[in-house]
Amino acid sequence: MNVLVLSGYGINCENETLHAFEVVGFKGKIIHINDLIQNPKQLNNYQVFAIPGGFSYGDDTGSGNAMAKKIMTNLYDQLTDFSLKDKLIIGICNGCQILINLGLVPSLNKKDPEVALIENKSGSYECRWVDVKVSNNKSPWLENISTLNLPVAHQEGQFMIPINLLKSIKANNLIGLQYINHRKKLAKGQFPFNPNGSKDDIAALTNQNGNVLAMMPHPERAFYNYHIPNWQSKTLKKFGDGYKIFMNAKKFFA
Amino acid sequence: MTNTIQILSIEKTGKESSLQKEHNNKSIKIIDGYFFSTNLDDQKFTKISKLISNDVSQTILTKKNVNKVLSSYSNFNWVVEIKFLPGVTDNIATTVKEIIKDNLKSSFKSFELGSTKIILIKGRKEDITKISKNEANPLIQTIKIYPFKKYLNNFKKNQFKIEKVKLPKKKYSKKEINLNISDDQLSLIGKLGIEENDKSRRGTLGLDLESLKAIRNYFFTIKRKPTDVEIETLAQTWSEHCKHKIFSAKIDDIQEGIFKKYIKGATEKIIQLRKDNFCVSLFTDNAGGIEFNKDWIICHKVETHNTPSALDPFGGAITGIVGVNRDCLGFGKGAKPIANTYAYYLADPNKNYQLYRQKNNKDPMLPANFIAKGIISGVRVGGNCSGIPTPQGNVYFDDRFAGKPLVFCGTVGIIPKKIKGKLSHMKKANPGDNILMAGGRVGKDGIHGATFSSEELDPNSPVSAVQIGDPITQKKMSDVIIRELRDENLYSSITDNGAGGLSSSIGEMAKESGGFIVNLEKVPLKYNGLYPWEIWVSESQERMTLAVPPANVKKVIKRFNARGVEATIIGKFIKKEKAIVKYNKTEILNLDMEFLHEGYPKLNLKTSFPKIKKEKKKIIKKSSLIDKLHKLLSSPNIVSKEFIATQYDHEVQATSIIKPLQGEGRVFGNATAIKPLFDDEKSIALSQAAYPQYAETNPYDMAGCSIDTAYKNLIVSGANSKKIAILDNFCWCSSDEPDRLYQLKEAAKACYDYAVAYQTPFISGKDSMFNDFKGFDKTGKSVKISIPPTLLISSIGVVDKISHLTKITPEDGDILLVLGATRNELQDSVYSKIIGYEKSKNPVVNSKDALRTYRNFEKANKLRIINSAIGIDLGGLGIAITKMAIASKKGLTIDLKLKNKFSVDQFLFSETQSRILVSMKKNKLANFKKIFKASDYTIIGKCTSSDVIEFKDNKKIMRGKISDFAKSYKQNIKGL
Repeated sequence: MNVLVLSGYGINCENETLHAFEVVGFKGKIIHINDLIQNPKQLNNYQVFAIPGGFSYGDDTGSGNAMAKKIMTNLYDQLTDFSLKDKLIIGICNGCQILINLGLVPSLNKKDPEVALIENKSGSYECRWVDVKVSNNKSPWLENISTLNLPVAHQEGQFMIPINLLKSIKANNLIGLQYINHRKKLAKGQFPFNPNGSKDDIAALTNQNGNVLAMMPHPERAFYNYHIPNWQSKTLKKFGDGYKIFMNAKKFFA
Repeated sequence: MTNTIQILSIEKTGKESSLQKEHNNKSIKIIDGYFFSTNLDDQKFTKISKLISNDVSQTILTKKNVNKVLSSYSNFNWVVEIKFLPGVTDNIATTVKEIIKDNLKSSFKSFELGSTKIILIKGRKEDITKISKNEANPLIQTIKIYPFKKYLNNFKKNQFKIEKVKLPKKKYSKKEINLNISDDQLSLIGKLGIEENDKSRRGTLGLDLESLKAIRNYFFTIKRKPTDVEIETLAQTWSEHCKHKIFSAKIDDIQEGIFKKYIKGATEKIIQLRKDNFCVSLFTDNAGGIEFNKDWIICHKVETHNTPSALDPFGGAITGIVGVNRDCLGFGKGAKPIANTYAYYLADPNKNYQLYRQKNNKDPMLPANFIAKGIISGVRVGGNCSGIPTPQGNVYFDDRFAGKPLVFCGTVGIIPKKIKGKLSHMKKANPGDNILMAGGRVGKDGIHGATFSSEELDPNSPVSAVQIGDPITQKKMSDVIIRELRDENLYSSITDNGAGGLSSSIGEMAKESGGFIVNLEKVPLKYNGLYPWEIWVSESQERMTLAVPPANVKKVIKRFNARGVEATIIGKFIKKEKAIVKYNKTEILNLDMEFLHEGYPKLNLKTSFPKIKKEKKKIIKKSSLIDKLHKLLSSPNIVSKEFIATQYDHEVQATSIIKPLQGEGRVFGNATAIKPLFDDEKSIALSQAAYPQYAETNPYDMAGCSIDTAYKNLIVSGANSKKIAILDNFCWCSSDEPDRLYQLKEAAKACYDYAVAYQTPFISGKDSMFNDFKGFDKTGKSVKISIPPTLLISSIGVVDKISHLTKITPEDGDILLVLGATRNELQDSVYSKIIGYEKSKNPVVNSKDALRTYRNFEKANKLRIINSAIGIDLGGLGIAITKMAIASKKGLTIDLKLKNKFSVDQFLFSETQSRILVSMKKNKLANFKKIFKASDYTIIGKCTSSDVIEFKDNKKIMRGKISDFAKSYKQNIKGL
């Protein structure tokens, strides 16, 4: 099981993302996008492709846009092929924004980006912990998970989806995660449970096969128990909720 | 054909909402504009528009659709167009250029473009002017306001343009300066700069008469006139910013100066006293380093960026934080930045101070809220974009920061002890090594930053001193250095380009080899037309200087280029102790290294005892204890800074283990911790403290309190007392006045006494000596506003085990205890400021008592006797109690009957230092008593399952609901 983790141009969560994969049993490496463009064939050696969080191109022209355009220009076919195989792709935070801008998620009409991630309703950057529930558990990434406690850290995390598309996203069961409140009910847009005002409390989307997951929260930052806020007052475990996502990737190939 | 692409969001953006809310105006719409230097044909227009916009959320304006798209704004009447001034870094434009070049490849090559913010508004002209002033800074941006109709017309007629830097094409000829002139004329050079041929002056050199005379003597001996570059270089190198002349000067009877005697002296004494030296690198490098574990070193550095932040708060703060990140990159062979810290000392953002740099209401200081917001956002963008967590910080407000805000930015870094078998903190540029400059290009930005940070802010403060940060360029560069070049040992030395630019970085590094030769024409420029001296001293950001052995040059440049980073060889290091700079083969600088670094006249300072400014009597307002608690909790210096913590990413790198917001109730903590390595359970605890409010009463005690608090916070968090180091950042005022120097000397003396007593060494420090504003108020009266002397002590410590980390939340049934004695020390306290002045003493640290408390606490914590703990500081015990309750959402019952010595207020609000509020299970009390003597603690109450805090004295019970306290504590700060 091999994972390839993307880096370069301001992506910054590659170390901890690779670490999470390694702990659950993957072998992997971090690759600079320019090296991947030089030799895209190496994608064949990997089963998982991860685009970590960060600030690619400083969010200029919209978060994830510039990196998505670089991938579109130089790597689009290879990455699309990858997504059509029995392989997994995950985009976390800035990676999520990149996947959405590439149109690899939800990928219903297979052409242009159909969904946008726009600025948080609050107008400010939000670094805080949220609860999400799994809505699509047919995605290999999310199987057998009900809820997760994870941090978000973004300025542009509000999913904007045209009404008709939202209908088909729901019909196809492509909503991966949704923000919930302290009573474990959908946040209904209420801040801070829904940190960005996302439509239908959407925190993650998948493609139709469920093998591509674009999620705004950071599972790699909730990997160990000591990552969780106020862990000292809680029961002792080794791992946090984020671990489950990476374990699911392992199970998929096991 | 068109030369502009303009894009607007279909839905209201967060930015638009906050603008609308702020200005109470629902009719505001923002358009992202890009102006090109050439016309785009339809095909290119469509292609490029698509590349830089989002189909789903945005609309692209075209000549055809503009009327229709903007029809819903047709009743808007004004347009504000905000552009960067020519030559100011435009990060968005750089990204757009990259996207276009990558996608269109060779089909569209040479063009320039500028990003522009276009705001459509409905309102009266005077309101629009006000809004525009809030949105742009005239120092770096141009603001155009014109009618909406004209905008539509401009759009259709293609009448947008970008302004390029228009510098006259200059042919450089070597400029020699005659210093054989009168003292007055000589002084003028120091104050206003070198005179150009057209009689204009270049801007302050910050050189005093004595320094200029030393330069004159030197050139008299070597029998020639100095060049302009030589004088500029000496000004940079000898600046207060670079040489710390006041700290190294003879002061009264202290021959060696206060740095050597009190700061470095303390560390030397501690190393001598302790047998277990954990310091690795002290004072000489860009940061100070200590041992983290057997394989790793951690380093810490804290810088100030006060004057740049006064002129351009956003730019000043962002370059402050990414600048100190480079200090980490430049530590040893290059440490990876793993945490940022911040501390802001600001004027009340809700007040309008109306200060002007010139008479007749000209050249105004920026409004206090603009400064505060800009600083907060600058560090947000700098830290978040760089992928470095920013967990630790604080903000303090006082009117005396109205003339100059203090912006402290710090970074912690980590580096393996050995790289390819060699000690990583050792570096040495060797003769023959090439001088390589990597990162951003050089422009006119930040010229004279170092010299002018040594001066007061007055009408002659140069505006070119501001810089804009570009964290992504730096991140790209940093990744190459830390991940690729360093671990292969491809360079022999590295340092950052900060104040003074190349002149400082190369000048400093060349001490390792002997000297240097630089060919300035090789330095890549942002635009043509810079004079050689400008290239040499420019403070353009995001650059590192490396010493690369000739054999590795090709490899190093290739690696940089492959990651989209520019790297250029601009000279070489030599053995001969000479500093030589050439421009197109003409030698324009040739100085002895010895004179360059040590030739400045040493100061001889005298101090005198200052008049103590007594706190003004203020009648104590009669109100209940609960009311007083609410007033204190909601006061700006105690109220929660959660709004900053949530906008600073403190989770990136997945290292956050004690977060800035603590407990279910999210209390803003005074220490945080990160766990930097996946395979070691050790953590790094961070804290900081400053007490400018105590300074005028007694600067010695003020410094003692700062050290005590910064140290105590780490002990309370669970750090190993043997592995705590501290950093000093002195921000002083009027440091040419004997009474201010007296305060400085006293504070420095306290640094020695307390650091030695606690055996916590100083590992790094920085000072900024002239934080004064000289200008005019709105009536034209001349005013001088000096900051109160401020000493920020930052502390860094190692926590050995995860189980040693503490929490601030007590549990049901816990008993509450105060460790350490409480004294009647209300003078200069938050209480005396908010509630009223009571005759009292100022807080004084008794280091012997304090140490006993800390050592015992450490023991008890390791034995898991302590269940929760919080350091007691601003607002005293009363505020610590309330914070514990807010954080845990657990009721507390406090027994005040014991305190017959004091009044209730004295007991609860005195700011006596060295105290810790702790809770523990009742059944641990027996073990606790084995460690603590009865006189060293007081049991004050217990934790309950109720939702109130209950204070009982002899007569009555006073109750306050925790949720109400939380509300007061979480109030918004007015004006922010």
